[in-house]
Amino acid sequence: MIAPARVFALLRKEVAELSRNRSALLPVIVVGFITTALPFFVAIVGPQMTGHALSGDRELLETLTKVSGELPGVDRLSPEGAMQAFIFSRFLVMTLLVPVTGAITFAGHSLVGEKLGRSLEPLLATPITTTELLLAKVAGALIPSLALMFLTTAIYIAGVAMFAEPGVARAMLSPKTALLVLGLGPMTALLALQVGVLVSARVNDPRTAQQFGALFILPLTGLFMAQMSGAFILSLGLGLTILAGLAVVWLLLLLFGVAIFEREAILTRWK
Amino acid sequence: MIAARHLSRVFGDRSAVDDVTFDVAPGEIFGLLGPNGAGKTTTLRMVAGLIAPTSGEASVAGVPLTRQTIDKVRGQVGFLTEAPGLWDRLTVEVNLLTYARLHQLSDPHAVVARALERFGLSDRATSLCAELSKGLKQRVAIARTLLHDPPVVLLDEPTSGLDPQSARVVRDLVRELKARGHAVIISTHNLDEAERMADRVGVLRRTFLAVASPVDLRRRLFGSRVRIVMAADASPYTAIVERAGGREGVVSGRELSFTLDDIEAGTPPVVAALVGAGAAIISVKSEDQPLEDIYFALVGDESGEEGGA
Repeated sequence: MIAPARVFALLRKEVAELSRNRSALLPVIVVGFITTALPFFVAIVGPQMTGHALSGDRELLETLTKVSGELPGVDRLSPEGAMQAFIFSRFLVMTLLVPVTGAITFAGHSLVGEKLGRSLEPLLATPITTTELLLAKVAGALIPSLALMFLTTAIYIAGVAMFAEPGVARAMLSPKTALLVLGLGPMTALLALQVGVLVSARVNDPRTAQQFGALFILPLTGLFMAQMSGAFILSLGLGLTILAGLAVVWLLLLLFGVAIFEREAILTRWK
Repeated sequence: MIAARHLSRVFGDRSAVDDVTFDVAPGEIFGLLGPNGAGKTTTLRMVAGLIAPTSGEASVAGVPLTRQTIDKVRGQVGFLTEAPGLWDRLTVEVNLLTYARLHQLSDPHAVVARALERFGLSDRATSLCAELSKGLKQRVAIARTLLHDPPVVLLDEPTSGLDPQSARVVRDLVRELKARGHAVIISTHNLDEAERMADRVGVLRRTFLAVASPVDLRRRLFGSRVRIVMAADASPYTAIVERAGGREGVVSGRELSFTLDDIEAGTPPVVAALVGAGAAIISVKSEDQPLEDIYFALVGDESGEEGGA
């Protein structure tokens, strides 16, 4: 039986504590800045500085031809605008790094942080159940991670609208973008978080938990590279299938986490 | 209020607590004494429902401690852990509010406001816990422990590392809890504190070596010393004292001290015998053995460090 009041009580505390934890927020803000700024250098600043338009790059043109079906309205854009739409939509995958980095960092500070601050024992001495504790811990890191991701995405789209060719931003507002931002992003973050919390419940050092969570960066980077080269096209249908698969994995991880979370071991073995 | 029967706890192949039995009544302060690694914290954690005993059973506030009832038991207990364990980045008020909400108290803001006032923390409500002194942190931790007004209060080293003023505040609070009918277990290394506060003490070294009031322990182990001051040289009266039941008599000028097995029953016959022999008695005082001596007699004087909980 889950008591929502207890989950919300701990959740409020988690969010309040995180908002004051600059060392945890800084890496996420840095990643958010890099993933937002980098595509503007590639698609706008770079070509302007070198004097070589993107539309003059034969390899990019070939890739764009392969994936043009996945970019609605791209055929109505100028050649340079079409290339920018291609670059900006590919880099959108990289914004998923923001919630994943947030999840990894915040989860690392989660249970291990409580342990290092010696605040876990009084917390465990309350009537809070293991499920409630884990739910609050995961949600407490997920909500700020997603808030930062939505903020980053909003800034990204606004930046595209302001600095890219006309129509590029509109071309990016597709169901696939929605799937990435509202579906795959949050679900990948949730998975990274679940792994981070799970690991942080078994180790003594936040860095160990973060290293396990960092494994999630690899498939994201792989997905980005494959998309850039045109070797892999993330269609809407495939994206939804992946989303459903990730949801199942998350549920299994949650159940596994509750099963292996040993209150006693945390109190008696952690030194 | 607390009934523990044959509690034992084994970690791997190491026995942390072995066959511990005790009761604590409402309004009673029970002191847990013992060296590091003696099993004091493990015993408290078992009673608090934080760890399960390997064998034995316990009930807390009438609720038997089982896997099914453990969450309910935790709601009946206030457990002050050895470290204050506050969330340093949050204010005193937010720390307490979070716990009030975790205990699902009906009006958390009002409960916290009362607690802040009761513990003299109202002016520090908006201070970050990281900015507080050790004594103030401990006060916040105690306020947190008592927010839900638990019938059972467990205090693990509550005055450890505190300055004398802060320690006195804590001791006064524990006495107040006793007066209000809470059952209190206090684990401490401070023998003087245990003697002054506890109605009964349990000297623990994995198992209880003794459980009794400090006075009873003293009598049981050493008997009691009596010191009589006379108007003249006391040495002629040693034999009279021994005939009247005193032993281990020591004379120092006009003072004569000796041991009685039962100070209350044994003193009047000795005094009567002395007066009958013509001794001019100025004063008769009991000369209690310090609890520290009793403690070392029970546990020995090696550290007992085992590194356990």
